[in-house]
Amino acid sequence: MSQGSNLAVEARQLSRDYMSTKRKHVFGKKTTTTIRALDNVDFEIQEGELFGLLGPNGAGKTTTVKILCTLLEPTSGHAFVKGLDVVKQARQVQRIVNMVAGGERMLYYRLTGRENLRYFAELYNVPKRDVKARVETLLELMGLVDRADDEVEKYSKGMKQRLQVCRGMINDPQVLFLDEPTLGLDVNIAKDLRKFICEKIVYEQGKTVLLTTHYMYEAEEMCGRVGFLSKGKLVAVGRPEELKRKAPSGFSIEILATRLTDETLTGLQKLELVKKVLTTDYEGEAEGEKVDRLIINVDSDKAVPKVLSHLAAQHCRVVSVNLRGPTLEDLFMLYTSEK
Amino acid sequence: MSTRVILAEATKSLKIYFFSSRTLFWTLALPLANGLYLYFLYLPFAAKSVDLQFSGTSYKIDLVGFTVVGQLLYTFFTMMLLAGAAFEAERWQGTLETVLLSPANRIAILLGGALANAFNYMWMLAALVLSWVAFIRTNIFIADPLALSLSFLLSYTAIVALGMCFEAFFIYSRRGSIVVASFQEPIMFLSGQVFPLQSMPSFLLPLSYLLPLTFGLVAVRLTMLGGATLSDVAVPLAALALMTLIFSVLAAFMVDYAERRAKAKATLTMF
Repeated sequence: MSQGSNLAVEARQLSRDYMSTKRKHVFGKKTTTTIRALDNVDFEIQEGELFGLLGPNGAGKTTTVKILCTLLEPTSGHAFVKGLDVVKQARQVQRIVNMVAGGERMLYYRLTGRENLRYFAELYNVPKRDVKARVETLLELMGLVDRADDEVEKYSKGMKQRLQVCRGMINDPQVLFLDEPTLGLDVNIAKDLRKFICEKIVYEQGKTVLLTTHYMYEAEEMCGRVGFLSKGKLVAVGRPEELKRKAPSGFSIEILATRLTDETLTGLQKLELVKKVLTTDYEGEAEGEKVDRLIINVDSDKAVPKVLSHLAAQHCRVVSVNLRGPTLEDLFMLYTSEK
Repeated sequence: MSTRVILAEATKSLKIYFFSSRTLFWTLALPLANGLYLYFLYLPFAAKSVDLQFSGTSYKIDLVGFTVVGQLLYTFFTMMLLAGAAFEAERWQGTLETVLLSPANRIAILLGGALANAFNYMWMLAALVLSWVAFIRTNIFIADPLALSLSFLLSYTAIVALGMCFEAFFIYSRRGSIVVASFQEPIMFLSGQVFPLQSMPSFLLPLSYLLPLTFGLVAVRLTMLGGATLSDVAVPLAALALMTLIFSVLAAFMVDYAERRAKAKATLTMF
């Protein structure tokens, strides 16, 4: 751990392997495969910072969060929260952190919202005189007062998630880990939750937050700094604006087109001024033909006519063209895509 | 260890698993049915006695009483093992990680679960004793109520302490229930639940004396049915007190070890 620093979280050469054991039949010989979920990851988060850890499914985001909040031990490397070793000083770390995950688990469905919060307040040894006030304040903040005495199983998905945030705040943690907290939520509820995290948790209360997400707009809207995880490796870290400036090109052309072939893509890649060609999932049709989405990093807007000419020559039908500066989504594609 | 955590856990467990009109009804009705079953099972043996030998003294004990007490304590023992399944229930409902994310003392959490289960057991105990008194003619001979109370109390604490050791399996693995279930029948046999210990093959006796249920059965049977006093059952009571201490320390170590292993092997989320 760095001495005299204001670091809230520090990960040093953090790695985690998972062992997968299989047998051909019940009494068959075991074969064990090792999967490296996290590979020598280094990063740090300053106190009061909202840091985003971005990456596709299986990139290692949840593994990182679980190590930092003491639910998983690293295979190698070290991690510290407020200077405390997450393995050797796990109990002390648990007192000052909490975690909220997306999805509907982590609550007792047959207890009411209020009973859930009171139970967790006891587990975290919240001072007796503060329990009632803290529970009521959190319920009020998350707009759950009216339904606080209903059993959680009667809550909507959004209400459960808001209650989860209350649970995550019950011990007044210094560092909060949010693992895809808006997963599956309605647009309005997700927006309110993002606002709550930014305004109340980070800005007003000065807490440190590590947010994992694969929604790029969410990271762009909320995070002061982001890190991109790809296949367990941290491939880039920085402020979104800095990363955009460092992007291989100043422009991206987003094209929706039909009849794209490998030959077309190879040809595009060879064009002058074109830096990188990426294809992304897109669900759409135009006049009965499947539409694909291309993001092409280019050095200059002069590349646009050349790209369109090439597509025309390849008999592709262009549905739309959009020229723009790089977004976080482009960077995500750039850092995490294999193509 | 935090009393607040124990009480919070007990309250939570009772609310989730016990306090509903249907659960209350069935936890009362099923033991009554069990009592009737015992009545008809032991009816042919009424007024017969069994010779229970302990510390060189022979006690003539009513056979029905002998078996019913055996059944009572064994039921309690299995219920405490089921209390061990509290962590398995957390695993299934997706809250195991949430609980282990907190700094709460794990043994306090387990004691809270055990307290809730003991409360649940009281229904069964009351129903069995009522049906026993109402239907089954047996000779209860209590000479020393304090000795009987201590026998129940120390049996309870020692069995809970052993039950907490079994908890470790539920934290570490989703297959904990199989491991624990595999202990049930040998314990039933070795503890002398269904026959007097003097009938046990001598080479198995050392194993019998490792179980709190063995001493609990001796103490409760002698004080409840044989008119034994505190001095008569001092040895089994001392053994139960010692086992409470040893198993509690062992449980703390085992639970801590299982949690660390589960974090190293990434088995906390598996269900």
